[in-house]
Parts: sequence; C-alpha cells; structure tokens
Amino acid sequence: MLPTMSQTLDTDALLSRIANGDRDALGQLFQSEAGRLIAIAMRIVRRRELAEEVVQETFVAAWQRARQFDPTRGSARGWLTTITRNRALNLLRDGARLEYHDGETLAEMGDRSGDAMSAFQALSDRDALKHCLAQLDEPKRRAILLCYVTGLNHGEAAATLNKPLGTVKAWIRRGVLTLQECLA
Amino acid sequence: MTEQDLALAGNYVLGLLEGAELASFEQALARDGDLRAAVDRLQQQFHALDDTATPAEASPALWAAISHQLDGAPSATVVPLKSRRSTAGKLAQWYGLAASVVLALGLGYAVGSMTSAQPKPTVIAVLLNESNATPGAIIEAFADDSVRLVPLEDFALAAGQVLEVWTLPNAETGPVSLGTFTDTETLRLSGPKLPTPRDGQLYEITVEQAPRSATGKPTGPILVKGFAKAPI
Repeated sequence: MLPTMSQTLDTDALLSRIANGDRDALGQLFQSEAGRLIAIAMRIVRRRELAEEVVQETFVAAWQRARQFDPTRGSARGWLTTITRNRALNLLRDGARLEYHDGETLAEMGDRSGDAMSAFQALSDRDALKHCLAQLDEPKRRAILLCYVTGLNHGEAAATLNKPLGTVKAWIRRGVLTLQECLA
Repeated sequence: MTEQDLALAGNYVLGLLEGAELASFEQALARDGDLRAAVDRLQQQFHALDDTATPAEASPALWAAISHQLDGAPSATVVPLKSRRSTAGKLAQWYGLAASVVLALGLGYAVGSMTSAQPKPTVIAVLLNESNATPGAIIEAFADDSVRLVPLEDFALAAGQVLEVWTLPNAETGPVSLGTFTDTETLRLSGPKLPTPRDGQLYEITVEQAPRSATGKPTGPILVKGFAKAPI
C-alpha cells in the first residue's frame, strides 16, 4: 500500500507533536501506523505476539526519541519503518528466544519465500526499485528479497536457496551494486 | 565512494552486516555525509517493499500495553536487557563504536580535562543510543567509585519514571546500579564500593519506575550504553 503525500506529511507533523510530549499525537500515530508496522515485523519474526512486542518497543522508542528524528534524512514513516525493522532483526538474530535455526520448518521457510516474492510483485510498476530488481538475474533478486523482506542472513538465505554460502554472498554483493547503479 | 563502500551500504540496508563489520560501517556512516546520504536514499527506496505488507489489525490491547508502559505502571511486556545475553559480536560492535566516538571527541576533551583541577577519571565511556548509535551521554568513572555524568541529549521521562545508571564490573557480579536521576544535567553519582573501573567496562542508562528498579537489576528499556576506555 503506497502512502499518499498527505499521510507522509501527517506523520511528520504527528512526530513533532510527540516530541513535545503530546500523548494524543502518539495515539493517532498508533492508529495510523501500528497495523502497517505489525505487518512489516510479522514478515521477519513470523509470530503475531513477537511482532506486537516489536511494535510496542517501536512506539515506546518513538515517544522517547521523537526529538532525534531528523526530517532531512527521510520521512517519519520511514523512520518508524527503520526502527521496527531493526528491532525485528534483533529479535530474529537473538537465537536464545526464537531458535529459528533449528526450529523453523520447511513450510515456514517456504512462507518466507512466498512473502519475499509477493512483496516484489506488489511493488508498483512505476516504482524504480521494481524496475531495477526486475533487471537482476532471478537468483540474485530472490536472495536480496529474502534477506530484506524476511530478515534472513546470508547463511539462512543460502540454506533456503539450497546454494553454497559463498555463492549467495557473491550474488547479493553483485546484486546490490547493480541495483544501486540502476537506482542512481 | 568506492565499490566496497557501495557493497557495504547495500548489505547494511539489507540488514546483513553484523559484529565488527557493522561497527566499522556505522563508524564510517557517522563520519561520511555522502555515505550517509547514499544509505538514506537506498533505505527509502527499499521501504517501498515494506509498504507492500497488508496492514494487520492493531489491537486496543497493544495500545493499552504501550500506554501502560509510558505511564510508568509495570508493563505487560518487559523490554529485555539485550546486553545480558549479548554475543561477543555485539560487544565488539559496541566497543568499536564507543571507541571511535571517544577518539572523535578525544582532542577537545583532553584539553578540557587538563585545564581543570579535577582528578583524572580512570575510564571514560561514551554511551550511544541503541536506535541510531548517536552519542547520548558521557560517563567519567573515578577511582573513588564516583562517576560524573554528562548528558548529551534530553531524555524524555513519563511521570513516576527515573533514569538509572548501571555498570557491569564483571559477569559474576552482574549489573550494579550507580544511582538514579531525573533531570538531564551534568551530575556526580557517588556509586557503591566497586572494583576499580577498567577498560571495556559496560555502562548503560535505563528507564525505571521511581524511586529505582525494584529488582536492583535493570528491567526497563536501555536508552544508551557504551564501553569504557582509559584516557591516555
């Protein structure tokens, strides 16, 4: 779902009210953003209760750190997306809690692939990222999408794609270089 | 920007950098405005993928849990203290970051210390924000167990909350409270009797319910943390 210009501006405005300690503004931010952020976290941590934990941490961080938001570096929605992604990745990498490496079934790995590919398909055709991802060889595209959309690391992506680690690392390195050239 | 910079920027946005590699890339990001701009741009472009997720229903219970946590009531979800089960990689990452900030601040700092009549701190730690790795506070720890805390940003607190300063003298002792504060200003905490602060010792500030953490250990979210280094 693409944000409209007014959504983007609203979120920036809400964040500056939150920086001034306006709790109602935080409530409005929750109304407009929490559902989106839960969905983003779910793609990475896979379980609803963990995704909610991630989003709870995100809103507490937004409350405590709204003043650090720098609009010259991107939108408030993007700032929230980055916080959510980082928290979700931390949780995923924290093997002590999730035991993904042993516990994740083949079906769950398949779900990740499905999420990764449908995110790509759902990009707007006018989106430069879609155009540039489409230019990549299929395996490179798949590896990049698995890592970004579902938070896999190199090793997990290699296991999912059933390819040697070195190959997948090289694909991703080449792929991100080509992408940046195409997006520039 | 070199090809290696671009490859690292790509891997960073994909969430693939860890440990020492992540630490050194974040140091480079803090120094290099062009690199930061390239990463910000790529990150924004990739956010289009995040925005394809079909929004879930956000439950009122989740908002209640957030409100509750901000009100200072015992929260439904206790934010885990990540450092307790940190991997060596994470430690290295924070150590690298803290060290680089110490270097960056080093010159001006040393001049300040030499011209004052105060005793020299045994170690200095620059505490960094968990979310964006910017410096949030400086701690100078002295041989007499006291610490001087210089906040570099304003920490927002809800009513009934305090900021609690912790250190980890060693793994067996576990985290030890050095004291609490509420107003963001330079202050001195006397601290309990502890071994002489050493290079690499962890310091952090968490948000706790007033008057202080009920368990005597950090339970609230970590605002900033960093590893100490002895001044030259």
